[in-house]
Amino acid sequence: MSDETNRDLSAYPIEEPLSEEFVELEEFRHEEGELVDYQSDSDDLGTLDEAVEEDGGRNSFVDVLIGNVDADAPVGIDDQFVLGEEMPTGKLQLVTRQTQIKEFTLMSIFFACAIVAVLGVTLIFAFVAYKAFPIFTEVGIGNFLTGTEWSGTEGLFGIVPFIVGSFVVTIGALVIGAPLAVMTAVFMSELASPKIRSFVRPAVELLAGIPSVVYGFFGVVVVAPFIARLFGGVGFGPLTAWIILAIMIVPTIATLTEDALGAIPMGIREASFAMGANQWQTIYKVVLPAAKLGIIDAIILGMGRAIGETMAVLMVVGNAPQLFAGITAPISTLTSQIVLDMGYATGTQRTALFGMAAILFLISMSLVLFVRLLSRFGQEMSG
Amino acid sequence: MSQNEGISVLVSGMGSSAGIEAAVSGTAEIGTSSRELHDGEGEDLVDIPIAYDGIAAIVNPHNPVDEITTEQLRAIYSGKVTNWSEIGGEDLPIDIINRDESSGTRDAFASNIMDGERFDVGAVILPGTGQVREVVARSRGAIGYISVGFVDPRFGTDPVKALVLDGVAPTDDNVANGSYPISRVLHFFTNGEPEGATLQYIKYVLSPEVQQGAVIEAGYLPVTTLGGQD
Repeated sequence: MSDETNRDLSAYPIEEPLSEEFVELEEFRHEEGELVDYQSDSDDLGTLDEAVEEDGGRNSFVDVLIGNVDADAPVGIDDQFVLGEEMPTGKLQLVTRQTQIKEFTLMSIFFACAIVAVLGVTLIFAFVAYKAFPIFTEVGIGNFLTGTEWSGTEGLFGIVPFIVGSFVVTIGALVIGAPLAVMTAVFMSELASPKIRSFVRPAVELLAGIPSVVYGFFGVVVVAPFIARLFGGVGFGPLTAWIILAIMIVPTIATLTEDALGAIPMGIREASFAMGANQWQTIYKVVLPAAKLGIIDAIILGMGRAIGETMAVLMVVGNAPQLFAGITAPISTLTSQIVLDMGYATGTQRTALFGMAAILFLISMSLVLFVRLLSRFGQEMSG
Repeated sequence: MSQNEGISVLVSGMGSSAGIEAAVSGTAEIGTSSRELHDGEGEDLVDIPIAYDGIAAIVNPHNPVDEITTEQLRAIYSGKVTNWSEIGGEDLPIDIINRDESSGTRDAFASNIMDGERFDVGAVILPGTGQVREVVARSRGAIGYISVGFVDPRFGTDPVKALVLDGVAPTDDNVANGSYPISRVLHFFTNGEPEGATLQYIKYVLSPEVQQGAVIEAGYLPVTTLGGQD
């Protein structure tokens, strides 16, 4: 059918190609000047009047109008027109069923891509939870979540030292890294000349591309010996991990903060200058408070990166399954302990490792959730 | 070597327990391990000793302590002795370097030295012999333990000092004649009697070519030196 339709309508020169975004309009009414869609049941070509009559308000399909059509010109399937306007001959765009199928296929592919992420998260969480579930019966959730001793060979599976360790390492990294990153972002967004910005920004972005094992190696051969010289000992512990992680989270926080600062309208800065404020006052009293929620967003996402970091932390933190005992005393984290034990753990210990993974998952999920709530709160504030 | 062409061997290193685990599960034809099987572990596994090894307690070369006893070593690793002055050294805190639980070296050290006592949980845990050696080489107060073979300067840029244990120096000869207190067997484990390419590979590893060559180069003792003690 489409062959015939195409041939017949090709007689009408098309002035402008139809933009694809016009293809689906959900609703129409038969009023003057409105878009009208028409899909004929038969393959026969009729006139516009016939088409409108046949359509009779069924509104079964949606198509697009781009031009005016002669009321007496033959009209085919899926043609479009404006009612009531003057109708010089020609300028009719046809949307064939092939186009619709193509559109539908493309939409399905895009939908499938989007669904992969959703399925991935769901499946991974389901798998981890399933593998971790026996922890309730084998260790007991109380022993697991409140126990302070971890020893696979002795059957002790308390993960408090690792939860404490993960938070100690993460919060310390944020205390060092967040101001560093926010100040970097303020510099790039508010202060730097375009020339300086053109090499500071790529450098910051490049930091994000360095593999974490390289950070860890840097920690082992440079930072740990340096800490050992300053504080004695061997240099493995939270302090070393803080320094390494602080550098690692700078790109995350700095780029997101820069985006948040960039979203502040220039007029706000100009208003501040007009009130007689200098540049520093504008940054501290106007721009930073205005971008507050975006910056908190950035810091929380940086926190997510820090708490999930594994390899670099494993290499520098000392991996002792003890409670925090000082900034240079070795500790262990959820992530590094999972990696350390996963290679050989069997039975209950393996279950316990999946339990730790589930806890990590919940922590990251609540961070993401917090960010979502925060941005909703921000919209309500500004809206 | 030429008669073994066409057999490729994929090697993966994740610690002794991982080796045993892989042999049990069938992930690998041969599981390598530097520790003995625990009770009830891998009952179908066939044990093929391929080399012998001693474990040396190492300290920084600047540490004046040269000798130590098994009891002192145990006291240090269980956290009861925390300063070198308590065992005749300088007034310096002891930094204990331990290995991770999957390590066969740790397992051998624990069964030879610890006598059922627990390791100090505050000890730094490093996941490899190379790292232990490197950290001890740069830290004046540190103590660690590694294979006797890896004490040799050719395995690191900086030297470490192996302690004389109970009056016996950790030398190849002392390990071979059994007088050095901490020794262990390096194992191949196969799930059932080896056959085919696996058997061919094991025969190659046990041949004089490898035993007198690669095994000694790697710092271990050929399995033939002790005449099959295990």
